[in-house]
Amino acid sequence: MVLLENDSFLTELTRLFQKCRTSGSVVITLKKYDGRTKPMPKKGYPESFEPADNKCLVRASDGKKKISTVVSTKEVIKFQMAYSNLLRAHIDGLKKKDKKSKSKKTKATQ
Amino acid sequence: MPYYQTWEEFARAAEKLYLADPMKVRVVLKYRHCDGNLCIKVTDNAVCLQYKTDQAQDVKKIEKLHGKLMRLMVSKETHSGAMETD
Repeated sequence: MVLLENDSFLTELTRLFQKCRTSGSVVITLKKYDGRTKPMPKKGYPESFEPADNKCLVRASDGKKKISTVVSTKEVIKFQMAYSNLLRAHIDGLKKKDKKSKSKKTKATQ
Repeated sequence: MPYYQTWEEFARAAEKLYLADPMKVRVVLKYRHCDGNLCIKVTDNAVCLQYKTDQAQDVKKIEKLHGKLMRLMVSKETHSGAMETD
């Protein structure tokens, strides 16, 4: 699992989307993160860890390649804007609902 | 593992589940361009909520919910609705 900076993560995520256009899926996972880097201590051992409250972990994978990044409050605004644009730009293969009066218009293909 | 039929219900249930225990909940988004569908799942490893769509109009809704949950996760607030604008 590769831990990247926010910008590199977005670049790699773009690449994942491009790679999976012909086959495969892109899976993105979002989870709150409290900043721990050491494993949870066993019972009876003192937990000498101060959980941070302002981070989240974003992971992405195409089944083979895995990438991840940590986003904190300071970066979230920038990251979220870029991330939303990315999703909207790449998740475009879905059906467009157009049951309105457009079907009444006859397409003039003369 | 039920798939919700309406986005409204899913979004409400998802946010409620997250607020119940933020540390436990994860959000998974799966996009298949070749099949043309998008699936979103919110779970705390006990309850699992899912929504699947192949409609372009849902992409914006899903992406907004994703952003909302992301912002909730990084905010120090213990309740939602408090959006700091500075």
